[in-house]
Amino acid sequence: MGSLNGGAALRAAALAVALAVAALATGCNGGTVDSHALKRDAEKVASLATEGELLANDMAKGASTKYFARVHAKELSQAASDLADALSKRPTSPGIESDVRKLSRVAAKTSRHLEQLHLHPTSRNVAKSLEQPLTDDADAADKLAK
Amino acid sequence: MKIFQVALGILAAIGGFVDIGDLVFNVSAGATFGYQLLWVVVIGVVGIIVYSEMCGRVAAVSGKAVFDAVRERLGFRTGLMALISAQVVNLMTLTAEIGGLAICLQLLSGLPYRWLILLAGVGLAIVVWVTSFDWIERIFGYGGLCLLVFAVAAVKLHPVWGAVGHGFVPHMETESPLLYAYFAIGLLGAAMTPYEVYFYSSGGVEEQWGPKDLGLNKVNAMIGYGLGGFLSFALMIVGGSLFLDKGIEPEFLGSITLGAEVPLGQIGLLLGLVGILFAVSGAAIDTLFSGAYNLAQFLGWEWGRYRHPSGAPRFTLTWIVLLVLALGAVMTGVDPVQLTEFAVIFSAVALPLTYIPILLVANDRAYMREYVNGRLANTLGLIYLFVIMIVAVTAVPLLILTNVGQN
Repeated sequence: MGSLNGGAALRAAALAVALAVAALATGCNGGTVDSHALKRDAEKVASLATEGELLANDMAKGASTKYFARVHAKELSQAASDLADALSKRPTSPGIESDVRKLSRVAAKTSRHLEQLHLHPTSRNVAKSLEQPLTDDADAADKLAK
Repeated sequence: MKIFQVALGILAAIGGFVDIGDLVFNVSAGATFGYQLLWVVVIGVVGIIVYSEMCGRVAAVSGKAVFDAVRERLGFRTGLMALISAQVVNLMTLTAEIGGLAICLQLLSGLPYRWLILLAGVGLAIVVWVTSFDWIERIFGYGGLCLLVFAVAAVKLHPVWGAVGHGFVPHMETESPLLYAYFAIGLLGAAMTPYEVYFYSSGGVEEQWGPKDLGLNKVNAMIGYGLGGFLSFALMIVGGSLFLDKGIEPEFLGSITLGAEVPLGQIGLLLGLVGILFAVSGAAIDTLFSGAYNLAQFLGWEWGRYRHPSGAPRFTLTWIVLLVLALGAVMTGVDPVQLTEFAVIFSAVALPLTYIPILLVANDRAYMREYVNGRLANTLGLIYLFVIMIVAVTAVPLLILTNVGQN
């Protein structure tokens, strides 16, 4: 193993770290929203709304716990809110601005619905009443993803 | 008492194989590709069994753990490179595990996340300080068995078993081959993450294995990692059955436990959370010890959990410093799940520096006497070395090309 070159390996590792940092940076919610990013973000919003609907369904059946429902609903709500904020501010490619802003509003609505689950983690009625709105949110986001 | 002796393998499997990285990658892989990547888990499980058995045998016959071999076989400079990469990946993983532990406690208690990070850190320090190695193995190994609830959940979700069976045959039905490759690399990296063998071989030395324990070593590696693989299958099937059709991208630990809650209700949720709690706690302890083992072995310090802390002061100081650094990192607000993905991919890059010296030492008759690798161990070892090289070379490009698995 004496042929292994420690300096070359070190440089390769440093390059790998630099590339990964660059990858992380590109993964952030910055930059212009193009049609591909719009599709990705719409799928994310639909995913959050659908997961919220799944949680609401369990809460309505009494199949979840108070703390899990409260904490997980908040996580989902926060993620939807972050997407809504980013989509309301970021510049867009020509021709898709209205869809991007519309998706921002859907994300904000999804966040508000999830926030209600967070605020009422033990109320089966509230959970039941939010199942359909969250399904509608997911459908609206899905339409924008196509 | 034999059943308790198998605990080392089970701890390594539950706290190593099924850690936050496996939870995230297996469920996400299922949610993205259904059951298509089950075959990759099989490859990863066989790989970790092959190399764990090898390094356990080296530990039993020569009394040397992995980083003793690294230092002796790679020389100081390249060995130092291996040490640095191992410690960076260890610290990233430890940070992710502590963050995951705090999230799990929050999902169980509803208390504020930052307070729970501190509680997790203090709790881990107390457990590591006051609990014997044997009991750490038993508590976290067997506590992690609560994860078996995901196997029940997988059955209750009524997957299409024909499709599950087809998943064990390598195939690719996707328009996103790069994303498929990224998940395959991530699953292999998560299965063969280096700290598992650091911990396993050092644990063998700690337990004073000798040649008479070689049978136990084989059983430990096969049962422990076999069980870990079984849990990985279950997690991927849950992801494929519950999330794929609904278009859900499970981005949180809470999403993963929904996989047990939906089919099994509160009891499924609670068992899932407790299982994850023990699994990530075990993994945090594995990585904590691994970091201290690696440094102590590389620098020739006294080391070992069986010694009183005053008998191995630099080893003890090392794990305390690592714990403080990881706590500081997770307190910055870094997302443990996202950090996990980076930790797994970087561990994939570091794989050759861990596994090459093990293969070399296991073939050295001066160390191993009549216990050197046989033909089967060498054939499998070389095949996996080839796989590991491919994984190491492609991991970072795939991370970039897929935007950390987002596209």
